[in-house]
Amino acid sequence: MLFQQLVNGLVVGSVYALVALGYTMIYGILGIINFAQGEIYMYGAFGAVITLGATGDLSLAVLAGIGSACIVGVLLERIAFRPLRGTHPLIPLISAIGASILLSSVARLLFGPDDRSFPLEFHPSSYSIFGAAEITGLQLVIMSVSVGLMVILSLFVNLTKHGKAMVAVAMDNDAARLSGINVNNAYMITFLLGSALSGVAGILMAVYYNATSFSMGTLPGLKAFSAAILGGVGSIPGAIVGGLVLGVAENLGAAYISSNFKDAFAFIALVLVLIIRPRGIMGSRK
Amino acid sequence: MSVYFLHVLILVAIYAILALSLNIIVGFAGLVSLGHAAFFGIGAYLSGLLMIKGLGFVEAFLLSGFITAALGLCLALPALRVKDDYLAIVTLGFGIIITLVFLNLDITGGPDGLVGIPPVTLWGKPVYSKWAFLGLTTAILFVMILSAYTLKQSKIGRAWAAIRDNDVTAMFMGINIYSYKTLAFITSSFWAGLAGSLYAHYTAYINPHTFSMHTSIKILAMVVLGGIGSITGSLLGAAVLVILPEVLRPLADYQDIFYGALLVLLMVFRPQGIMGKVKITEIFGRGR
Repeated sequence: MLFQQLVNGLVVGSVYALVALGYTMIYGILGIINFAQGEIYMYGAFGAVITLGATGDLSLAVLAGIGSACIVGVLLERIAFRPLRGTHPLIPLISAIGASILLSSVARLLFGPDDRSFPLEFHPSSYSIFGAAEITGLQLVIMSVSVGLMVILSLFVNLTKHGKAMVAVAMDNDAARLSGINVNNAYMITFLLGSALSGVAGILMAVYYNATSFSMGTLPGLKAFSAAILGGVGSIPGAIVGGLVLGVAENLGAAYISSNFKDAFAFIALVLVLIIRPRGIMGSRK
Repeated sequence: MSVYFLHVLILVAIYAILALSLNIIVGFAGLVSLGHAAFFGIGAYLSGLLMIKGLGFVEAFLLSGFITAALGLCLALPALRVKDDYLAIVTLGFGIIITLVFLNLDITGGPDGLVGIPPVTLWGKPVYSKWAFLGLTTAILFVMILSAYTLKQSKIGRAWAAIRDNDVTAMFMGINIYSYKTLAFITSSFWAGLAGSLYAHYTAYINPHTFSMHTSIKILAMVVLGGIGSITGSLLGAAVLVILPEVLRPLADYQDIFYGALLVLLMVFRPQGIMGKVKITEIFGRGR
């Protein structure tokens, strides 16, 4: 039971971690909370579900999902965030809240108010882990995709020119500009990467829960942001650890305390962490 | 005057109290709260339950204000250890937790809500007339406006302004930042609790959905639309955002689109709001 909850928590947590990575990169580089991250996740899921319904081609559907998430993310940056650069953080925050409401209500109009099931059915086999817990093939896929993407992202940020440019912009915007880095490009790449990760997360969750709806992104979005803060905002390993901790805490809380309050545990954990260690688990600076 | 029009006016007055109370946190003290509807809801449920248990209206009304204020203190003590965006998320989380509490407790009626809340009674008689209720709500709104003006110009208001403009300087001037920020939360939640009480006895039925994150954001939008820190602005913001959805009722499907777009456009083109004289960046001190 305990191990089973741990496994389920890690699976959901790895998806939270993917979304949290988007938050943490955007926050680290632009200093704003992208409240609409959950909506990007939702558009990713819908892009995949609709393309799959129309063509039946899974790989095309995944590409379409990631593509639509990226388009929404980049448009968001251009329209709702870029004009607000350098203002008090409350202004982009409110703008992002507005964008989030706008995006989810547009989705309700476009895709309807009801849940959609995933057009493909998966019947994965289960594997036993030392007899203590079971993990399904689908859960394995979700975890390995998440971990793979995290590794790729870390390599990209630390080794490539564009990744290093992002880090430089995060450290000091002006100094980065003076040393010849195209800051606008770095912003766009950050949003592209963050959106792509959230889009993948959305597709994974649409398959896992077999449900896609216009409001599917709200709670995972908020929880992923909590995960980013939990781990220490701006820190990539922090977002991963935060996401996993949150997923596990939520599942254990639901199993052992009360399943009605499942959605509250993430926020209780967040409040506790902020009181005890405001920088987050892995955060180095405030 | 039609009953419907009176109903809208009463809602405007209740939301004006709410918007003004949030403006104490956001505009006067320069803090962020995305969980204001939670205090609104706590006041509403408390007042409703207290009156169902047999208390009179005046007692229930005042008690709900004071107990909500005490809960505001309970939130402020841990939450005010963090600033800006972090505070936004902590208050947001608080709002979600409180909504879940309303949804899952037996005493609040769970998702079905609280039914059969007694109407307002004054001098032993129940008040059913919408005119009388509008009078009562307007009177309380008036007291709130007066107290907000007085508060803004008092020593407390000036201390808040100092913290809002530059907290480090305020600290060097000998202002206890933590206590004054806490005081802003207590005052604000007191008024939000009163607004909740009025709402509960007016509608006679409340459910958790009314006090969700959506409402918190709506109240914040009222403050922002009117102009952060402006008292007349909050009144105007509440009027616009209560009346507009009623006018646009035939377009109900598009309401949220309009509302989201309004927030984005406002922030991009006029962040100081309708009544704001100065830029929000000046209100809040230097941007990062």
